[in-house]
Amino acid sequence: MTDTARDMAAEAAAGPVAPPTNRMVITLLALIGFFVASYLWAHNAGLTGPIVCGVGDCATVQSSEYATIGFVPVSAIGVLGYLVLLGLSFAGLQPAHRGSRAIGALLLAGSAGGVAFSAYLTYLEAFVIHAWCQYCVISAILITLIFFASLPEVARIRGSGT
Amino acid sequence: MSRGEERRQARESGSDMKKFYFLFGAVAVVGVGVVGFNVGSGMFGSAVSEPIELDLASDEELVALAQGVTRGDPDAAVTIVEFGDYQCPGCASFALQVKPQIESMLVEPGGVKFVYYDFPLISIGHTNAFLAARASRCAADQDRYWEYHESLFRNQARWSGASTPAGAFENYAADIGLDGSDFKACLNSDKYADVVTANMRLGQRMGVTGTPTVLINANGQLRRVNNYDYQSITSAIETMTSGGPASN
Repeated sequence: MTDTARDMAAEAAAGPVAPPTNRMVITLLALIGFFVASYLWAHNAGLTGPIVCGVGDCATVQSSEYATIGFVPVSAIGVLGYLVLLGLSFAGLQPAHRGSRAIGALLLAGSAGGVAFSAYLTYLEAFVIHAWCQYCVISAILITLIFFASLPEVARIRGSGT
Repeated sequence: MSRGEERRQARESGSDMKKFYFLFGAVAVVGVGVVGFNVGSGMFGSAVSEPIELDLASDEELVALAQGVTRGDPDAAVTIVEFGDYQCPGCASFALQVKPQIESMLVEPGGVKFVYYDFPLISIGHTNAFLAARASRCAADQDRYWEYHESLFRNQARWSGASTPAGAFENYAADIGLDGSDFKACLNSDKYADVVTANMRLGQRMGVTGTPTVLINANGQLRRVNNYDYQSITSAIETMTSGGPASN
């Protein structure tokens, strides 16, 4: 039996499952992260005015060579990453997928990858660029919170939680 | 699980989802509003990219507001004046081919200064020229006007047709080592919109209709040079300073 078939069989056996609270939290955090990254992306594309920054030096960070990987702005990677997490967690709230182990595993892996990437960017800000962008810091906090909110998925993947 | 418990659980589940969708909608509305406002103000709002209304009572006030950018000894006896447009290909040729000769052969030895006035030709569809002129003034704030001036002309083909050239202007500023934050703050404002507009009005009062327009001021005379190559300019200067009849 495939994982998906096993998921569906388990859900059918368990009856109606309450929407997982952790996935609600992930969806909301990912939505906020999506807007933060979108704002930075719009700035990279020259669509905004001067970057709104109360603390730190976003302009230095955003104009540094580390603001892009090849031709791809880091903010665009952020937009895509948050969008994937948003889509997964939103799907995982629908009645048919509330017990899905596959979605749980993808959320856990995705947020762990996001934390690792964010840690690398934070390292660059602290030790290489020597400037802080508050939006990057907010994004780092958001992805860390998303990772913690994904931890209950471990129990769901093992089959003991809902 | 009994049928009653199932119904109760389904009701609670539906109520939780309603609260969640309400929160989701609220976050989405705030997010779209904040990002949309910033994008909107960046594209259409704060960066002034067209001439503005000037409330000037007299020509003296216009002359006082209009400011050319000078290269060379401010007290030089001869002044070469250019009215230029950053989107004009002829101005790019002049800036990259003729002006370097003027600088090395006439301005640096002394006795001649070069003054550039903005004359963005908005009327013929050079829609980015006014913003480019303002951008060059923002570079002047950081004492790098001429490097930026040349950078704009060198890259003219790249930004000239762009729908939003501000990003390109910021990149050129970064390329010559300007403080990005200060430059952006200046560009995305109305700073120098009055000066650039005044330069245009001054040019119009002086009969400038196209660019580049090169004028020479020497011996109390102001003459237009019809051909803007180096030879024509030096010939005009020689004629004007020797007191003979003007060739142009």
